[in-house]
Amino acid sequence: MELVNRFKKTYNLEWVKLELLKTAFGKKDSYMGRKDPRLVMVWYFIVSLLPWFTFNQTILIGLLVYTIVTSLVSRVSPLIIGLLTIGVISEIIYIVALVYLFGGEWAAFSSLITFTMKITIMSIASIAAFASMDPEKLSDALLSFGVPAQFSFAVSYGYRMLPILLDEYQQIILSFRLRGKAPTNGGVLKWRTIYYYSKIVVKAFYPMMLNTAKKTRTTVEALEVKGFSYSLHDKEAKKQKLSHLKLSNQDYTFLVMSIGILLAIYFLGKYYPI
Amino acid sequence: MSEAIISIDQVSFKYPGGDDWVLQDSSLSVNKGEFLAIIGGNGSGKSTLCKTINGLIPHYYTGDFNGSVHVDGIDMYSSAVAVLSQKVGYVYQDFENQLMRPTVLEDVAFAPLNFGDPDFQQHAEWALEILGLTHLKDKSIWQLSGGQKHLTAIAGVLALNPDILIIDEPVAQLDPHHAKEIYQKLKVLQQHHGKTIIVIEHHTEFIADFCTDVTLIDQGKVLWKHDVKTGLQKVDDLLERQIFPPQVTQAALKIDHSNKSELPITLKEAVTYYEGLSITNPTSVEHKSDQHERLHEIVHLENVSHYAKSLRNETVTILNDIHLSIKEKERIALVGTNGAGKSTLMKCLAGIIKPSKGKGRISEYNLKNSSLEKLSQDVAYVFQNPEEMFIEDSIYKDLSFFAHSRNMEMEPFFQQLITAFRMENFIHNDGRLLSGGQQRRSSLAIGLAIQPSLLMLDEPTASLDVKSRQEMIRTLNQIDEQVKSVLIATHDMQLVAEWATRVIVMDQGKILFDGTPHELFAQEFICQQAGLIPPQMVQLSNQLNIHPVALSISEFVERIERIDSYGVS
Repeated sequence: MELVNRFKKTYNLEWVKLELLKTAFGKKDSYMGRKDPRLVMVWYFIVSLLPWFTFNQTILIGLLVYTIVTSLVSRVSPLIIGLLTIGVISEIIYIVALVYLFGGEWAAFSSLITFTMKITIMSIASIAAFASMDPEKLSDALLSFGVPAQFSFAVSYGYRMLPILLDEYQQIILSFRLRGKAPTNGGVLKWRTIYYYSKIVVKAFYPMMLNTAKKTRTTVEALEVKGFSYSLHDKEAKKQKLSHLKLSNQDYTFLVMSIGILLAIYFLGKYYPI
Repeated sequence: MSEAIISIDQVSFKYPGGDDWVLQDSSLSVNKGEFLAIIGGNGSGKSTLCKTINGLIPHYYTGDFNGSVHVDGIDMYSSAVAVLSQKVGYVYQDFENQLMRPTVLEDVAFAPLNFGDPDFQQHAEWALEILGLTHLKDKSIWQLSGGQKHLTAIAGVLALNPDILIIDEPVAQLDPHHAKEIYQKLKVLQQHHGKTIIVIEHHTEFIADFCTDVTLIDQGKVLWKHDVKTGLQKVDDLLERQIFPPQVTQAALKIDHSNKSELPITLKEAVTYYEGLSITNPTSVEHKSDQHERLHEIVHLENVSHYAKSLRNETVTILNDIHLSIKEKERIALVGTNGAGKSTLMKCLAGIIKPSKGKGRISEYNLKNSSLEKLSQDVAYVFQNPEEMFIEDSIYKDLSFFAHSRNMEMEPFFQQLITAFRMENFIHNDGRLLSGGQQRRSSLAIGLAIQPSLLMLDEPTASLDVKSRQEMIRTLNQIDEQVKSVLIATHDMQLVAEWATRVIVMDQGKILFDGTPHELFAQEFICQQAGLIPPQMVQLSNQLNIHPVALSISEFVERIERIDSYGVS
């Protein structure tokens, strides 16, 4: 009971919020965070696409280890890793159960595992690349790849709104809890309590959306006044915006290292296939 | 020296799809270097008039537009918004929604960057420097306090170096301390950087202290424009539109009706004005009622402390060894600067936060092992933002949510609340669509619908215009019968003076003072330490050596012996 209480005290909604904020804003000086955002995006596309061109499990395991190490170096939040682990473990249990129920053999299991590994590599790579990247850099990288300015602005604006939305959401859930009535008898496995809270979590979305929609009126006007629509047609403005994106020495080191490691994994897979 | 930088000539405007002319033949001329206050009742067209100056009208809102507006010689009608916004900066009342980038520096550099300014970085840093924000430049917007966010919004438009700055209700959402700071910064911009400043303002005390000119707008028309001294003395014009002149002016008017000479408008003037008058100190000394001791105790806290983790994983002490007892029939004001721990204390009492240390009792519930759901049957907590209280699609459903979820029949009580809070006209509307004053009243009623022993309100008068604010104070004075005790966290010292029977001052997580408003305001050093700015009447009393201090205008007027006006013609 003591353990449960301590667990509750450390891991509550407030902790989730803090972890999310840390993921979004915290790690500007981590390994991947310091790299040129364009390079990181290219890295992400290559690493997440590579697995789909091979069935060689050595290469896949190699890639998996490589992405895991990169994400560890980038100090990704335990919350995100936890969520991913839950996802992967339940996927594996589900595969085992599926194969067992339908009397499949090793081959079926193996091919499903291969598929899971590919998905996992993709998700870990995306965590390593994006969780540590500054939202501004991400948005600028998108802009420099020729993505419309409206979209790249929306990305960084989303990050700006995230903490506000979280706060608002938390307050509205509180409103429901303060005035609603939680079931006194939880039932088997507390299903009534769980059902009660799940309902609140969903219902709280509507007031939050309506409140936010109301606020954006000022934002739209202010965007106009601050020349956002002007900048959409102005080449000079775009150039200024992207002027800080420059490849440095550490970016070249990263590039050479990545190519080296990927080649090594590839040759390892070619000569020692599982 | 005085050349007109803005000239609005015979402007009329109707919003697209609207039926009424929001502006009608309005003419106004503003000189370079002026600090102009625009006053007028709600819906008089103040914001609309200001939007004609920065070109949002008629370029963004393309309604019916007649007349002409010239800014610095440029005709607004034939220029683009992009050109105009480099001449005129506009800061909105809900300034938070004007901040669009994640960090302070990025937000301030946003406008110059959009216009392709090669020196955008320097210009942004220059704006931050002037407003004293340089130390915050790498902070995230959401980490800032309200005052800092407002300054950032101002810096964001200042970075374009416009000649004119328009600020819509600069102090509506700030505590008086930060409000004064904002005005001081604006004054610097006007005096040392030659900017023309226009504010839309309800608080005449700020106008008297900082502005040079004032213009009154009513029903889409500019009635007059005067220098501040003349303007604020037109008391009848102001009162007719529910605008209240500074407290010292109102008091002077009450003391001597026949005196047609100059009324004081600032504290300094008032001190000289009243110096000649004799003051009666009341003979009857206030005595505390003894029955107080016998009343039932609702809240009892002992050694309560609370710690929290910051983003950088540091442990921060938010509440530091709090002892508190709240009895029945108390009206408590909880005051102190932002971050003093007021909200956390209230959240502890509501059961939202479990304090890290200490014990306590609220009604019959033990603080430590009572859930929020249990406590909330006896303690109502009304949030600062009323919109977060509206979880249903009509006020009536929100009002009955608590009773409904418990299958309680409370219809007569609801009807009573609806009448008492004058909610008949909008009871079936969505709360989000109401005006500020209506939203506040509704959220207060929602809190009372729980029939709590303790009602807690977070800033119930913040961001209300003066009229709705006075209405709110009146409403608060009525609710004593429906609830045993009320606790209000507030920055509004006028509310403290006119409503509270007990004040608790918090500073850095500790209780600094606990006593009556009279006792608090007599001790200026406590006010200073906790960053409180007492109401003008209290400040005046202190300067005139009136003890105990007068808390309201009527109390002050009673103390000043009436001058016999019969002989004066």
